[in-house]
Amino acid sequence: MPHRKIVATLLALLVALAGAVAFAQAEDWDAIEDAAQQEGKLMVYSTTSRTATAATNFQELTGIEVEVVRLGEQDLIQRAYQEARAGVESADVIVVEDWVAARELLSATGYFVNYVPPTARELFAERHQDPLVLGFINRIFGYNTDKHPDHDPFVSVWDLTTPEFRGRVMIRDVAITGEHQNAFTEWVRRSDELEAAYERRFGEPLVMTEANAGLEWMKRFLENDPIIMTSDTRISEAVGAAGQEDPPYGMFYVYSKHRDIPLQDLRLTDSRQIDPTLGYYYPIVLQLAAASESPNAAKVFIEYLTTLEGFEPWADSPGVYTPNPNQVPFEGDMPFWWWEDRLWYYDLDFAAANRGIVLDTWLKYAQR
Amino acid sequence: MRTRLQRFRLNVTPQRVLAVLFLLVLGYLVVVPLGVMLQETFVVHPLERFQIPGSMPGDFTLAHWERTFVSENAYAFFYRPLINTLIISLGLAFLALAIGGTLAWLVVRTDLPFKGLISNAAIIPYVMPSWTLALAWITLFKNERIGGTQGIFTALTGVSTPDWFAYGLFPITITLALHYFPFGFMLIGGALRNIDAQLEESAELLGAGRLTILRRVVVPLVLPAIFSTFLLTFSRGLGTFGTPAFLGGPVREFVLSTTLYANLIGQRPGIGYLVAFVMISLGVLVLYMDHRIIGTRRSFVTISGKGARAGLVALGRWRGPVAALVLTFIFGVIAVPIVALAVDTVMLRPGIYAWSNFSLHYWIGEASRAIGLGTGEPGILRNPQLMGALGNTMQLAITVALICGVLGMLIGYTVVRLRGTLISRLLDQLSFLPYLMPSIALGSIFLAMFAVARGPIPSLYGTFWLLVIACVVSYLPYAVKAGISAMMQVGPELEEAAIMAGASWWTRMRRVLFPVQKATYFSGMLLPFISVTRELSLLILLVTPATQLATTITLRYTDRGWYPYTNAMVLVLVTIVITSTVVSRRLMKTDLAKGLGG
Repeated sequence: MPHRKIVATLLALLVALAGAVAFAQAEDWDAIEDAAQQEGKLMVYSTTSRTATAATNFQELTGIEVEVVRLGEQDLIQRAYQEARAGVESADVIVVEDWVAARELLSATGYFVNYVPPTARELFAERHQDPLVLGFINRIFGYNTDKHPDHDPFVSVWDLTTPEFRGRVMIRDVAITGEHQNAFTEWVRRSDELEAAYERRFGEPLVMTEANAGLEWMKRFLENDPIIMTSDTRISEAVGAAGQEDPPYGMFYVYSKHRDIPLQDLRLTDSRQIDPTLGYYYPIVLQLAAASESPNAAKVFIEYLTTLEGFEPWADSPGVYTPNPNQVPFEGDMPFWWWEDRLWYYDLDFAAANRGIVLDTWLKYAQR
Repeated sequence: MRTRLQRFRLNVTPQRVLAVLFLLVLGYLVVVPLGVMLQETFVVHPLERFQIPGSMPGDFTLAHWERTFVSENAYAFFYRPLINTLIISLGLAFLALAIGGTLAWLVVRTDLPFKGLISNAAIIPYVMPSWTLALAWITLFKNERIGGTQGIFTALTGVSTPDWFAYGLFPITITLALHYFPFGFMLIGGALRNIDAQLEESAELLGAGRLTILRRVVVPLVLPAIFSTFLLTFSRGLGTFGTPAFLGGPVREFVLSTTLYANLIGQRPGIGYLVAFVMISLGVLVLYMDHRIIGTRRSFVTISGKGARAGLVALGRWRGPVAALVLTFIFGVIAVPIVALAVDTVMLRPGIYAWSNFSLHYWIGEASRAIGLGTGEPGILRNPQLMGALGNTMQLAITVALICGVLGMLIGYTVVRLRGTLISRLLDQLSFLPYLMPSIALGSIFLAMFAVARGPIPSLYGTFWLLVIACVVSYLPYAVKAGISAMMQVGPELEEAAIMAGASWWTRMRRVLFPVQKATYFSGMLLPFISVTRELSLLILLVTPATQLATTITLRYTDRGWYPYTNAMVLVLVTIVITSTVVSRRLMKTDLAKGLGG
């Protein structure tokens, strides 16, 4: 047993190494597919419930059994970490969010490794290969179109700190949303751009009491009486509901909620002009367990998820994008490259180092 | 001369054997997690190293303590949430006591009509998950601040509710009190029921008035139950996360549990566990006060061999109005959230009140992407996975309730029989500690403890029994509280008489001690049963596909904002729990009459 484990670990490490050095072409995919058929059932932990649908489709196609456990983003990281630490063989593949945290606990520790399957190697941009991205999610600013039928009320992110928006902006609690914390580290990293945006908007330089424009924005925003919510769904519904005199505005909620607009008759649209960023996007990452006893089946499953067919369960709404360039955007949505130019991402190292400062600034000013 | 061993063996009584056994087991299940938690507050965790200059993960540090208690921003980080938490917990505890106590007195000691109905219904608010009341509150009283469709109150009256009324500490306290008052009702009701009428009759003979009797006889006798209620509700106020986050966020009023959660999400478990530790300490403080006060009053033996039920207070002309008031209150508290949930499950699209929009699609519909929210999921009643998970939940709830019931009775017996000894105090307090541990923290610690074999304990990873252990430890406090308060009221003479009659320990437990206090033990089992059916955060890290529970599997809907499914599932659970509660109460009641009335 330990023998097999060591071999599997070495193998996985080798493969990862090979992928990184671009020797990966040498990998014999046919052999992997054959070996996959001899291996046991796969266990997958996933933050998105659609993985279960993809797994069912995969099983029909290949006959390889896949069991999916759906977990919240931090629960998944916690559980995979504790299990790996205890040496319990559980998840073979994880579909994980909040890569900043997951990288520290699961990747840097060697419990999970990156694997780049053939399709991704061929089609994905290099920056989307390590970590291997299943898809990107974007989070945007939205407003009620009954109140603003013909113009976008957002000019600059600094508008949200002005009296006009006082008590009217909704955001999911940054304190309990890991991705928001990551996203705001980018506001710290790109303070200069925020500062410039302030000057563009108000014609005068920004006078700060905080260390940088990112934290200054957070402070002013929180002092402007925002409404802190616990769910993105409730934000999009509250912003978009018909028949409101003074509807709130939504910040950083997932764009995929706009899928419900026709079904729920929401008067909702997203800002396409807010300066300097339309929001942010974050990756859903695929990783392979270093100690997996079914590494080949895991690889075949990972490969499947990077194909358009495998991604299908996610392709039923706007706001979710595979790095696979052959994806046709959801009706009415823009392709990912369009968003990539207009949304901010975050720098993983900078985010890891500064996330605590962001959370502290939030906690400091959020409490009334 | 006797050797030590001989002396010890002479002194070996069932209660001592039990005491040692329980101490060992609880020591492992309670002290170890607590130790782990405390230790973690002195350690640098991976992402924390960036905020602690020059540190590496695993290093020893005092930074978490400094930051929390004495840093420049300690007020915002810790003291303000602490104050909010205390306001909520105290308010909640007093309200729950007032409501539960009044109801208990009305039901047990007066000639109020519809008693059966009221006592069954009064438990239901606790059966519903606490967030349902929060949700109902928002549906009723929300104002323009959080947008969306109008609140019902505003829609009907045209009056906009003020923010402090709609969100924040006030509604958090009220909704939690409405959720937890059944604790007071059950515990105080149980205690009142057990008071020997002779005590009150004697007082009356001595010329005491009704009020004096209440103050000098009844209240002191139910004091342990009052303190238990206070302790149980206060501690729940410390730990609850969902309601404060949901109702507090809109006006940015935060509590310790949100702080704990934020730091766990932010990957700062050191600070998170420290907050958890503070929450536990606050609970311990109340526990200590409880012991100081109850401890000095010695025990009240109220069930003796003989005894009679007290006469009922006649409410006279107030009988009708009081009954109407009580019924309106209870059904309001039950019906509003249930209706709010139910309406949501039969509307294809939320917020559209048209006949064409009503449908049973989310209950029995076939999977479709064209109807309603276009989820492509079958209605919950025809989803075999959901039904399987529901089966697991029921199996778990029953197993946990039975184990808790038996353990609660035995620990109660041991604690009371060894009263005044250190071992008794230790056991009592140990068995209560898990109640004070925030379940998000406990789940991950249990996972770490049981994932691998340690000494004689095999790896329980992925088994049903791991779930059972986690739940038993978590909910044992309910059963132990019940066990202790039941046993406190049983005089030793009953057991002594049985011993004289030659009954073995087993027979004494089975034929004497258990039957006389069945109702209280039953309450002690009911609470774990109910709590298991809706536990999520404790178990989320421990379930595997084979052991999926109703709550964990429902996450897939919550996560995509498909609330009709989530709510339908909650309704199914609530229905099952209410039915089993009512049925078993009915069964118990007949037995109760036999046990006490004979």
